[in-house]
Amino acid sequence: MTAEQVPTPVDEVLSQLPGLEISRVSGSRVKLRVPGQRLPGLLALLKGQAGYLHLSAISCVDWPQTDEFELVYHVWSYETKVMVSAHVRIPREPGRYVSVYDLFIPAGYFERDIHEMFGVEFEGAPDLRPFVLTEWHGPPPMLKSFSSIDYVEEQYDWRDYRPDWLADVEQRGGGIEET
Amino acid sequence: MMTVAVQMLLMPLVAFLVGLVLVLFMRRLRARIERRVGPPLLQPVYDIVKLYGKRSQISHGPMHEISIMMVVGGVIAVVLFLPVPGMQGLAAHGDLITLVYLLMVPSLGLALGVGQCANPNGSIGISRALTAMVGYDIPLMLVVAGVAIAYGTTSLPQILAMQGGTWGVFQMPLLALAMLIATYGMLAKEPFEIYTAPAEIATGPMVEMGGKFMGALFVMQCFQIYTAGALFTVLFLGGGASWPGFLLKVFAVAAIPLTLTNLFPRYRAERVLHWMWKWPTGIALLGLALIMLR
Amino acid sequence: MAGKTIPIESDPNTEVACRDVGGEERSLLRRVVDQFADHCRARSLFVLHYCTGCGAIELPPSITARFDLERMGIQPMATPRQADILLITGYLAVKTLKRVILTYEQMPGPKYVVGFGSCTINGGMYWHSYATIKQLGNYIPVELYIAGCMPRPEAIQQMFLELMARIDRGEARAWEDYYRRYDAYLAQQQSLFGTRWEGPTDVVAEARRYGLLEHQTLGPHTAHLERYAPYHRELGVPLADKRGSGSLV
Repeated sequence: MTAEQVPTPVDEVLSQLPGLEISRVSGSRVKLRVPGQRLPGLLALLKGQAGYLHLSAISCVDWPQTDEFELVYHVWSYETKVMVSAHVRIPREPGRYVSVYDLFIPAGYFERDIHEMFGVEFEGAPDLRPFVLTEWHGPPPMLKSFSSIDYVEEQYDWRDYRPDWLADVEQRGGGIEET
Repeated sequence: MMTVAVQMLLMPLVAFLVGLVLVLFMRRLRARIERRVGPPLLQPVYDIVKLYGKRSQISHGPMHEISIMMVVGGVIAVVLFLPVPGMQGLAAHGDLITLVYLLMVPSLGLALGVGQCANPNGSIGISRALTAMVGYDIPLMLVVAGVAIAYGTTSLPQILAMQGGTWGVFQMPLLALAMLIATYGMLAKEPFEIYTAPAEIATGPMVEMGGKFMGALFVMQCFQIYTAGALFTVLFLGGGASWPGFLLKVFAVAAIPLTLTNLFPRYRAERVLHWMWKWPTGIALLGLALIMLR
Repeated sequence: MAGKTIPIESDPNTEVACRDVGGEERSLLRRVVDQFADHCRARSLFVLHYCTGCGAIELPPSITARFDLERMGIQPMATPRQADILLITGYLAVKTLKRVILTYEQMPGPKYVVGFGSCTINGGMYWHSYATIKQLGNYIPVELYIAGCMPRPEAIQQMFLELMARIDRGEARAWEDYYRRYDAYLAQQQSLFGTRWEGPTDVVAEARRYGLLEHQTLGPHTAHLERYAPYHRELGVPLADKRGSGSLV
């Protein structure tokens, strides 16, 4: 996919930064793959030059196969109604990235959420205290290595439930299948 | 004729019983307007007994307890000055001005108690209640002045006697209308229900009141609706020669705010003040002018 | 001495009641008054309008015109100080559970907790979530459960009728269980919130006031509460032989 097929005015911005992969374009969405250190500059350019003023979300994906986190920054332009999703991969081991709070103030809450769910540290974020899982003492729960079912089986106990109708069903050869 | 002492015991009792029926009437009326069946006959009794029968009464200090006594004491004192068929109580010894003065005591008592509760919702609620009081008291005072000038006396038994021929509401209709609106504000029903406001400030002054405190407030509500109806009846509807007529008038007067309240949402706090100082005050001033020009 | 003796295990100088003061021990006047009070309590129930989970969507249909709950004397109230019933409608996140316990302890007794929906019974739809609790009865004493996801207004009415019948018979005393076995409840709460967790009210003092302070009220988990009440030491209840965990003095 070459730069000519990307709708302007984001075209000029994207041509200023080498090393981008523009992997998918539809009518209103552009997906970019960015090397780690270029992302804040890209966002600053998008905001300043191309009018992408709205940060819709920051998402995080856990890739245990390659030991990486993939952060996705979705920015939206009100004028051209195009959403640009910028993907950046960071290694899991330090799990640190820079905060874009100085560019987009809503990033504060998204980064706070990713910090408590994935454990990614954002340098320069104003506040990284947990706000959804305030009584949580375990590992970051959205990691693929965290098994919710195992945690629940260990922490809580179940109510004994042996009703008559279930006994009847089991007598006839049926029952509840445990997966 | 009963002695004054016996009347002083009987009048609050009768007022309480009539008030219980009025509270039931209010809830059933609301239910019928909303196309449902209301609570059963003894519901106000069940509510009050249950509240007093709570196993723990959470009190916030001695001032909290005294304030509730002030609230109930104030409403009982008001009732003692309202002449009813057969009993005059203290009405011959005190007059309309005393009664209106005593009408403010329950709110002040509530304010003292709420101050002790240290809950910001309560403080906001009671400041709104006193704001509303400033709102409806202006037309109320104008009506009191007009009535005093028209009848030439502030003694309630004499006012009753002077209405033998025609009722006050036909002699001074504008003042009666202003009094009705001021009474509506005093009952603090929608749209003037700014001090309770359950969805905004968690019932305002009642936020920390449970158990016997809430029971006392339920008792106060019984007395309050009765007082509202009875005061208007005595001033403008000629009281009643006998109990059935008197009760019919009280219920008719009480039915007007209790019906209209189901149709309106709540005003904002400053809107209540603006509205009260515009419409009922204007009507009362016009009525007062007509009285003085006569 | 001949005759039937009632075995009392506690030292007569302590306030620990090791036997349940049942209905037959109350005087006639007390029984009549209690029955009248229960009759009125059953017919005038104030529900706290605190909608904890998704099951709360079934509460407005029950209160409004079609399935009118006010004809049974039930009305919603705004604050825990005024309410009798706490409806836990639906799932409870651990974060919400802390607030629910704060709310529950602020309510004056007698108070009734109703577990509404399958999530309070055995985890329900969110049984495999790390952030919700699975059995409500472990953390606060529950009077009744309604199964359903969520229960229909007819089921809610059935529940209220059952609750009213129970209050009438004098059997709705699950709230006393909180005082009788506070240590067990506190242990479960601390397993979620940390070992230094304590509620906003002095539950031990309330238990003492109601006469419900029993052997299972105090225990190893309530030990850190004694910094609030020197009278805990006056009780001198020897727990070492029962539990082997050391005495509370």
